[in-house]
Amino acid sequence: MTPIIKVNNLMFSYPNGVVALRNINLEINKGEIVAIIGHNGSGKTTLVKTFNGLLKPTSGEVLINGVSTKNENTAKLSKIVGYVFQNPDDQIFNNSVYNEVAFGPGNLNLKKEEINKRVLNALEIVGLEKDKKMHTLDLSLNKKKLVTIASIIAMNPEVIILDEPSSGQDHEGTVKIEALIKELQKNHTVIIISHDMNLVSKVASRVIVMWDSNLIFDGDKRTAFMNSDLLKKTDVSPPIITQLAQKIKGFRKDILTADEFIDEIIKLKK
Amino acid sequence: MDILKFKNFSWTYEGFNTPIIKKINLTIKKGEFVGMIGRVGAGRSSLCSSILGLIPHFYPGKFEGNIIVDGVDVETSSLSKLSTIVGLVFQSPTNQLSGAGTTVEEELAFGLENLGIQRHEIIKRVEEMVKLIGLEKFSSRNPFELSGGQQQKVAIASVLIMEPKILVMDEPTAQLDPLGTKLVFDLIKKLASKGITILLNTQNVDQLAEFADRIIIMDKGEIAADGDARSILTDITLLKKYGIEPSQLTTLSYKMKEKKLWNKPLCLTMKDAEEMVCEVMKR
Ligand SMILES: Nc1ncnc2c1ncn2[C@@H]1O[C@H](COP(=O)(O)OP(=O)(O)OP(=O)(O)O)[C@@H](O)[C@H]1O
Ligand SMILES: Nc1ncnc2c1ncn2[C@@H]1O[C@H](COP(=O)(O)OP(=O)(O)OP(=O)(O)O)[C@@H](O)[C@H]1O
Ligand SMILES: [Mg+2]
Ligand SMILES: [Mg+2]
Repeated sequence: MTPIIKVNNLMFSYPNGVVALRNINLEINKGEIVAIIGHNGSGKTTLVKTFNGLLKPTSGEVLINGVSTKNENTAKLSKIVGYVFQNPDDQIFNNSVYNEVAFGPGNLNLKKEEINKRVLNALEIVGLEKDKKMHTLDLSLNKKKLVTIASIIAMNPEVIILDEPSSGQDHEGTVKIEALIKELQKNHTVIIISHDMNLVSKVASRVIVMWDSNLIFDGDKRTAFMNSDLLKKTDVSPPIITQLAQKIKGFRKDILTADEFIDEIIKLKK
Repeated sequence: MDILKFKNFSWTYEGFNTPIIKKINLTIKKGEFVGMIGRVGAGRSSLCSSILGLIPHFYPGKFEGNIIVDGVDVETSSLSKLSTIVGLVFQSPTNQLSGAGTTVEEELAFGLENLGIQRHEIIKRVEEMVKLIGLEKFSSRNPFELSGGQQQKVAIASVLIMEPKILVMDEPTAQLDPLGTKLVFDLIKKLASKGITILLNTQNVDQLAEFADRIIIMDKGEIAADGDARSILTDITLLKKYGIEPSQLTTLSYKMKEKKLWNKPLCLTMKDAEEMVCEVMKR
């Protein structure tokens, strides 16, 4: 089966000369849920922006369903790969919540009723149905983020990329985002970028670690969280409970929850 | 000495019927490090904006009651006067960057220049700040050609460099990696030791546990709880009531209590948790 995203020897430099990606190779298959983590400025956002053609490779290639992004226009690619921006203010440009979410589907040659259906459905999924008439400028940051997520859901792309989905959310919001990601995964390939290792450990099984423009790890999350050299080098902090377990002699190093921690205590005390 | 005082303060954004902040009474003493937490939409960002006077001098609406900042009445004072006392780190870095400078260095110098500080002193402070916050490699970069987290650092640095008497931070490190967060908090601790008053708004309970002396929980425009950090952050029932997830370490000690493995106070910090586990394993 052709991977939905395939990246070959990708290099990218910005017009100002900054080399943000070096020799990246990876494959993502349909239905996967992948988390991309790494320090500030490591290249996470740049990498995913090459997936929907917002940025084109300086050299190497990105294949979406086997087709290089080089010759595809962004409008066409965004029907397959939807990207929710890290900062909602970079994405939102319509006045009302409704218009913002309707904008993408409006370019898909859909009937009016179908657009309306999709917008209302997307707003319901993120829990903003009551706010559809709100002015986007009057929204608090967490709601802006939900609007940007809804506007991608309404496009119904095969791949949904969420850049820092839980930033600006409270606990209930983060729980909602977790559930939303799990729901989206049923019908989409999902990629998240996050500094929130609790979120990463809850929703993803595969993690990709970026470090200084390079991809330096691609594999199972527990393996990543146990790899102290990797964590140290890339300045990734595993969840605080994992950190605690790693400080205690004889404990498993890949504990992710309080329940796992207690099981370990009971086991070791026997 | 009371440096910040809200007296029956209410605020209603123009075009809305109900106040977003309702009759708040709150006093903060000079040198306190206060943490603020609560559900989204509770009004925390609005409260932060009111200390700098963005409410009511930038946002239109109905202002009731009083806010006194270092002896200055917010409602009758001006943004330019208040900005000499209060530094506010916005939730969104894009809103913070003035756009006045074409480089990170110029962006950081901008506020100091407005204070009329001497050129060589400005250069010294900018260089020092850039180093302390880990932006050395980016000092001559355009602030808008940076990653999200790097931009957030510039925004924070542009406020810290002013050394305001009152530092208000609205979820300042939401996009920062652990190292960046540490550098920022090292800087903040340094300012705190100089007697600066700090109000930190964050959803990160572990961050509050480490730094704040006092915690305020906001809910639906009101102050729902106000007390010392340890007693508030280990009160699981209280936290849950206001939609706040306790630290994983507190939850661990709570679950151990339920399983009769632990019978002492709940943990809050890494040190507490390590001590608890050592004791339990020894038994
Ligand atoms: N400029 C504005 N005009 C009108 N309403 C606003 C404005 N800014 C915020 N609000 C509304 O005021 C309420 C409180 O918002 P505020 O941003 O103060 O809350 P918050 O506790 O900081 O939430 P968040 O965590 O989402 O930032 C929200 O319902 C929000 O929609
Ligand atoms: N528009 C731009 N122009 C020039 N350089 C940029 C631009 N955006 C980002 N960069 C640089 O490219 C590198 C990678 O940035 P990127 O935004 O991909 O990082 P990131 O991993 O998403 O970081 P963060 O966690 O801070 O969001 C950084 O060194 C950054 O300074
Ligand atoms: Mg980024
Ligand atoms: Mg806020």
